[in-house]
Amino acid sequence: MNTTPRLLNRLLLAVVGLIALAASAFGLALLVLPGVAPWWNRTAPRIGDRIADVRTGTTLEGQADTWLWIALAAVLVVVIVLLLLWIAAQGRGRTGLFASVDGRRGRRATASSGDDDGSVRGTVTITAAAAEQALKAALLERSDLAGASVSTWEIRGVPGLKVRVFPRKGVPPYAVAEEVSRLVEALDAVTGYRTPVLISITSGARARFMRTERVD
Amino acid sequence: MTDDPLDRSTAAGTARLVRREMHSSRAVSSVVTAVVLVLVCLVLLFEAVLQAVGDRPFLVDLDAAAAWIGAVPAGVPASLLGAGSFLLLVLGLLLLLLALVPGRRARYTIPNGRAAVVVDAEVVASSLARRARTAAGVAPEQVLVTVGRSSVTVQIRPTSGMPVDADAVRAAVADDLRRSSVEPAPRISVVVAETGVIGQ
Repeated sequence: MNTTPRLLNRLLLAVVGLIALAASAFGLALLVLPGVAPWWNRTAPRIGDRIADVRTGTTLEGQADTWLWIALAAVLVVVIVLLLLWIAAQGRGRTGLFASVDGRRGRRATASSGDDDGSVRGTVTITAAAAEQALKAALLERSDLAGASVSTWEIRGVPGLKVRVFPRKGVPPYAVAEEVSRLVEALDAVTGYRTPVLISITSGARARFMRTERVD
Repeated sequence: MTDDPLDRSTAAGTARLVRREMHSSRAVSSVVTAVVLVLVCLVLLFEAVLQAVGDRPFLVDLDAAAAWIGAVPAGVPASLLGAGSFLLLVLGLLLLLLALVPGRRARYTIPNGRAAVVVDAEVVASSLARRARTAAGVAPEQVLVTVGRSSVTVQIRPTSGMPVDADAVRAAVADDLRRSSVEPAPRISVVVAETGVIGQ
């Protein structure tokens, strides 16, 4: 439902995993393979000399050390910002707008207002809260549901509803699905929009600890 | 209603919703990885700034660390290096597996004309347990239903002296599964325990 960047998540996890694997392979090779440790001890000083050359080459007059430290700090700041953006991208996509009709474009809200045609100037907006609460109120009237929550999410540019219902123990899911989808169709008729809907039938903690039996 | 310009729900969109709900988004592991990387970067940043200003290192002396890496099998006991490498190996494999494995959640989907419907396996199990219990005529505590990805196991401990008709239970469970037509359709096995329990 949300716009979590799933492919990016997996790509970045793979990259970090490969880096960790490479480092561990290096450590294990140093221990296990007899030729690797001498080779590394011969190679490392040469790399160190190269780095020292670069450091002296980039040290400005009057400065104690190279300005590359500042460049490194700047790069690290950029990396940190990118990582924070990655975190912020998780679970995004909730929206507060269920539907909006621009009067001048002449769109007609079908079932809601028969006599109003689209030529009226102005905009009609249905907030997400209106649709959510209408559906939730209808869901909470049902005795076979221990709870329900409705939220609105942007799915590929259009708002869609996520309906989470927590049926009591032992309630057949197909019956719940059918009844919830009937309620959704009623909402369609009221708002005039046929939005994408996800019905998620889950076992919340509340349903889990409640008794199976109830008096009908 | 399909020709309606206000119709924003498509079959492809519904299928996409179901697919996304059935698989893990890897959000938690991503956030954990990112937080760890941010912490490492913050330490490095701090040390880099200290070096640039010409101050003394705070936590990690970058020069000493570089020298240590250059001399590596020498400056550290072999057991520690081995353990550290092994830890990194496990961590790397874990992250790689998280990236590559599909990460299916314990959920099923029910075909529905209007919406994308996703059901937790636990809900399916409790519904099946109820059907199995009424078919077998036993108390709720005597039925245990396990719902796996492609199989359903119903374990029943009968009440002493009252035999349980396993075929009737199987038929009831199959009927429940058929009516919800969960996908993928699981295989059913009913196990009736040899020993009974005192009537409840």
